[in-house]
Amino acid sequence: MPRFATLNQAWMVWDGPAPAPEGAVLEYTRELEKFLAEIERRAFRMAQIALRDPDDAMDVVQDAMLKLARSYASRPSAEWRPLFYRIMENGIRDLQRRRSVRKRFMTWLPGAKQDPDGEAQDPLDNVADAAPAIPDALMQGQAMEQLEVSLRALPARQREAFMLRNFEGLDVAETATAMGCSEGSVKTHYSRAVHSLREQLGEVW
Amino acid sequence: MNERSDDSFEARTKALFHDSVDGLDYALRSRLTQARNAAIEAAASSRRPWFARIGVWSPAAGVTAAAVLGAFLWLGSPLGQHAVTLADGQSNLEDLEIVASSDEGSGDAMDMLQDDIEFYDWAEKAANSEPAA
Repeated sequence: MPRFATLNQAWMVWDGPAPAPEGAVLEYTRELEKFLAEIERRAFRMAQIALRDPDDAMDVVQDAMLKLARSYASRPSAEWRPLFYRIMENGIRDLQRRRSVRKRFMTWLPGAKQDPDGEAQDPLDNVADAAPAIPDALMQGQAMEQLEVSLRALPARQREAFMLRNFEGLDVAETATAMGCSEGSVKTHYSRAVHSLREQLGEVW
Repeated sequence: MNERSDDSFEARTKALFHDSVDGLDYALRSRLTQARNAAIEAAASSRRPWFARIGVWSPAAGVTAAAVLGAFLWLGSPLGQHAVTLADGQSNLEDLEIVASSDEGSGDAMDMLQDDIEFYDWAEKAANSEPAA
């Protein structure tokens, strides 16, 4: 029977893979930190484009980081990127769903206005912001602003496919994993997104 | 629309996006760093062995143990307000089981205690055995 210098070593033999050796934990937490540092700004901008609000975008990114770290940190690092974006896109979709429910609820409150096109307006939309929704420093000129507006006008799946493929540089298979759909669907969504964006931006650009 | 113009369109959108990423202000970068640190801490703590995380669940287990002990004392006391019949005792035991199982932490603690006995028994044998030649 083997002998052990520390209780931790004995535990590792007794319990198999459950508690990873301290060195291994250090190794993959270091690797995870490097990975998150590499993608966090792009992820934030993509969430911000989808949600418009920087605080909401920050919440979604932070949540995705935590979920990845808690549940998938021990998975091979090659899987982290599609997994991270899958968690993030789910977070964005949840938030958008909550917003639309809230907007419908606001219709019933006194003071809610109706848009000319019949859409209910959130009374909070009429409150002046203390600061602009998107800081000027984030705007890289009019072209980026136009692109963001056009991206928001796309159907959600097309926007996801475009941002993951074009902005994040995921390949078709990774994008399919991140979006939870087939590679064929990714290609279709992406091609439609490029076509729509070109149509919308063609004259401006 | 030809392929080359599609390529240049995609290259332009990509470049614009990356410029906007580079332009993120200090405050946002700092918040992202804090979020990352919190995630790393979560990853590290979720992989610690149970004896390193003992502090996390011990308060819950302590409270449950105290509640179970209190219930035992109250139900088993001859000075209680009602006499305990055999049928009452049966249902009291069932109640206790419910109380004990209602707290996830206490269930884990029981399982862990069982595991520990086997583990320490095994570790003792390992420690007392002769080293391999």
